[in-house]
Amino acid sequence: MAAAPTQVRQRGGGARSGSATMRRRQTLAAWGFALPFMVLFLVFMAGPVLASLGMSFTDFTSRDLRNPLAINLVGLENYTKLLSDERFLRSAFNTLYFVVVGIPLTMGIALAVAVALNSGIERFRTMFRVGFYTPVVTSIVAVAVVWRFLLQPDSGLLNTVLGWVGIDGPNWLQSTTWAMPSLIAMAAWRNMGTLMVIFLAGLQTIPRDLYEAAMVDGAGAWRRFRSITLPLLRPTLLLGAVLMGVGYLQFFEEPFVMTKGGPLDHTLSVAYFTYNQFGFGNYSYAAAASYLLFLAIVVVTLVQFRLLRPRT
Amino acid sequence: MTARRTIGALLLAAVLALAGCGRDEGGGDGAAEQSKAIAEGPATGEITVWAMGTEGELLPKLAAEFQKENPDATVKVTAVPWDGAHDKISTAIAGRQTPDVSLLGTTWMGEFAGTGGLDPVPADLVTPGDFFEGPWNTVAVKGTPYGVPWYTDTRVLYYRKDLADKAGVQAPTTWEELKTFVKALQDKGGAKYGIYLQPAGRGNWQTLAPFVWQAGGDMVNDPANPTEYTLDTPQWSEALDFQKSFYDEKLSQATALQPGEIESKFAKGELGSFVSGPWHVGLVKDQGVKDEQLGLAVMPKKQTGTSFVGGGNLAVFKDAKNRDGAWKFVQWLSRPETQQNWYDTSKDLPAIKAAWEGGALASDPLLKVFNTQLEDAKAPPAVATWEQVAQVIDTESEKVFKGASSTADATKAIQSQASSIGLGT
Repeated sequence: MAAAPTQVRQRGGGARSGSATMRRRQTLAAWGFALPFMVLFLVFMAGPVLASLGMSFTDFTSRDLRNPLAINLVGLENYTKLLSDERFLRSAFNTLYFVVVGIPLTMGIALAVAVALNSGIERFRTMFRVGFYTPVVTSIVAVAVVWRFLLQPDSGLLNTVLGWVGIDGPNWLQSTTWAMPSLIAMAAWRNMGTLMVIFLAGLQTIPRDLYEAAMVDGAGAWRRFRSITLPLLRPTLLLGAVLMGVGYLQFFEEPFVMTKGGPLDHTLSVAYFTYNQFGFGNYSYAAAASYLLFLAIVVVTLVQFRLLRPRT
Repeated sequence: MTARRTIGALLLAAVLALAGCGRDEGGGDGAAEQSKAIAEGPATGEITVWAMGTEGELLPKLAAEFQKENPDATVKVTAVPWDGAHDKISTAIAGRQTPDVSLLGTTWMGEFAGTGGLDPVPADLVTPGDFFEGPWNTVAVKGTPYGVPWYTDTRVLYYRKDLADKAGVQAPTTWEELKTFVKALQDKGGAKYGIYLQPAGRGNWQTLAPFVWQAGGDMVNDPANPTEYTLDTPQWSEALDFQKSFYDEKLSQATALQPGEIESKFAKGELGSFVSGPWHVGLVKDQGVKDEQLGLAVMPKKQTGTSFVGGGNLAVFKDAKNRDGAWKFVQWLSRPETQQNWYDTSKDLPAIKAAWEGGALASDPLLKVFNTQLEDAKAPPAVATWEQVAQVIDTESEKVFKGASSTADATKAIQSQASSIGLGT
């Protein structure tokens, strides 16, 4: 970009005013070309984002619907109120629980499946790939129905199987202890497929001869995995962790279809809390909650970049 | 540099504009907002109507008859799914692009009236005394009616008559009798659980609320003009303790049932009784409960035998393009003949008393129970923040029923959280 004006000036030579007009015309043309995108971006992307950010510093509720300018600026009041709102703190804790347990679990399973499909399993490989990916493309609503049947306290498959070995299974979705683990298991099951595909692609890029060399040196399977696969897969793992982190921090569908946030708010996520507040008509309060969630996503992503950056 | 300065100036202007235009106090929510009367004569022009669920699908049939009586008017009904309806109406009010008339959930009245988007009912359009008191109270926000009840429902006790006969008990009329009745259904009638009272999950409060009213309590100090919540009164404790005793004595299961389970368990005879609205008559019969097996009874009494009233109201928007036509259509829908006709079409129970005096509504013995119960049925207060307070009650009462919190702590927590949520004015 910097080269263009210099070029013009050189060509223009003595006629200074001519080059200035030309430059202005070029600038105008450039803006003209960029205009359709700029307008769409400002109106439909930046506009709503900035408006909601602005909204979070006001006391906008449903009573102001007809007269949205009749609101007051309240500064950070929504934010301070959120930080002392027990239900919000509960939802923040739940979200953290979901992320901290859910991401490593999902990544671990996906990695194990990907490694197995990449090297171990030769027959029916395509069938397994399709099988593991199916949950990703299945509607959450249908999935929820099946999972609720699985987790039914007295007639569900899980508790029936547990009953065979003499364990009296809990009422999974209505127990404050077990509801969240149940949802985490379901989320891991649903999202593993995406990660598996990404990890498989990553595994394909690792040269075979490295493994062969390691085998010649007498490295066992575990050693090869730790010293070759994991380090070379780092960028792929980072991508997976960031994708999952962003998705899991906003987790909403699972409790929405399975538990409605219960029992006793133990599966209420920050996104669900925000959704509820919007429903109650507390628009500014909900906006503030979603910006806190946005901040959390930024922080978590930065931490992930730090932990998983390629070591050079 | 110039760009940055422009943005800075714009931001400053925006902030100043916002700071300059605070909310004017007491504008829209003044107590005595008056609405001018509508013109005489038949309705004219196009009347746009939004209606949800089955009502939305069936209303065009009724509207056709309205058009016969008002040849110059056309009614355009848009069916809206219940799920998205609340948001759709909020958006319509915000954009001032509302229909003329809409069906509104009874618990939405406080909120939407608070936006200033609803037109108060013109004087002399309908006579409040013609309606059951419970449904009428759902349209009145601080004494001003912002809509007209269209259809209504109330909850009564469903029980297995054959099991009750086997156990040798009659339908209960008091709290004490309810306890012995349920126990008998379980011990002698052979039901696994004598009753099902929803212990957890959203909407839990709708099970608790009738017990509170029956004990003589209420949610606010003055339902017509509420100034504070009354959620930590002895009546609330009494109601919570009473409902909890059913779980403690294993008369109701202490975990929530999935949708559909109530009917199937009731049909199998595993469940002796439950409390629900008129829609359950069809549902349990679909599951194979025979007419002679099904008994309905009005709510048992403590101080009163009050039940919960729900249903749908019709409201006209301030931004309606055809205000006169809209109110005339609402008025026509509230006539006893129209309401009877509507019952035949939709099985929605009429909110107007006179409509119960003829046809199937007068002769069906099951419907008579609902009719009797409607005489003593209440709705939650029409305050804008009610749904939010309801969520607090859901959570805190669940804690009590699970034994995670004492009744005293729970009522204290409900009251303090509700106070900080406020009445939304």
